[in-house]
Amino acid sequence: MTRQYELVYIFDSTLEEAQVNERLEGFHSLLKTPDVPEPTVAASHWGKRTLAYPIKGKETGYYVVEQFDADPTLLGELERAIKLDETVLRYLLVLNEGLAPVGASAEAPAGQESEGAAAPGAAAGQEAEGAAAPAEQESKDAAVPRGEEEQS
Amino acid sequence: MRRPRKSCQICEMGVRQVDYKDDRTLSRFLTERGKIIPSRLSGMCARHQRQMAQAIKRARHLALVPFKRGHSR
Repeated sequence: MTRQYELVYIFDSTLEEAQVNERLEGFHSLLKTPDVPEPTVAASHWGKRTLAYPIKGKETGYYVVEQFDADPTLLGELERAIKLDETVLRYLLVLNEGLAPVGASAEAPAGQESEGAAAPGAAAGQEAEGAAAPAEQESKDAAVPRGEEEQS
Repeated sequence: MRRPRKSCQICEMGVRQVDYKDDRTLSRFLTERGKIIPSRLSGMCARHQRQMAQAIKRARHLALVPFKRGHSR
């Protein structure tokens, strides 16, 4: 049974985009199975952005966000590979609870999560992102805008 | 004297699931020191407060939002 996951990588920002893609390819190849020879991965590159605090002495990181479907049994190997790669400053692998097509993954125990606190069961429902801006009331600080474009 | 309950800002935005990648929204629910604002003050509904807390913790892990702010860096 496959489930929808969301994976965020923070690569070392000294890496070129080509090098990042190369590593992503490598990780994607771990998701291949006889049943699913070509796993579909929706990747979005946020590009370089400033970290809220330094990680491994680095002030900036190259963010990549991916959504994919995979069998939970494959994730161990994937996570192992990511951890071994020293150019990945940090990663987060969680069940995709948001944008997912409704149903199916509703109330199951949370699958995998790196380090963070134990995830509560996936809450059902869709994410209505995009309606996220209007009520800008007490914005403490306008953090760095996020987006696909490069920011240095 | 009881104050009327503040309405949940997240509900008003029409969001079902809080997104941990949206650091601008998340930082509205942090104090200037970077602590999570309690629902008592934020006026959030219980469901969204839970989601928000989880989302902020994930965002902290990803360095989108600081663990602490204002101390020497």
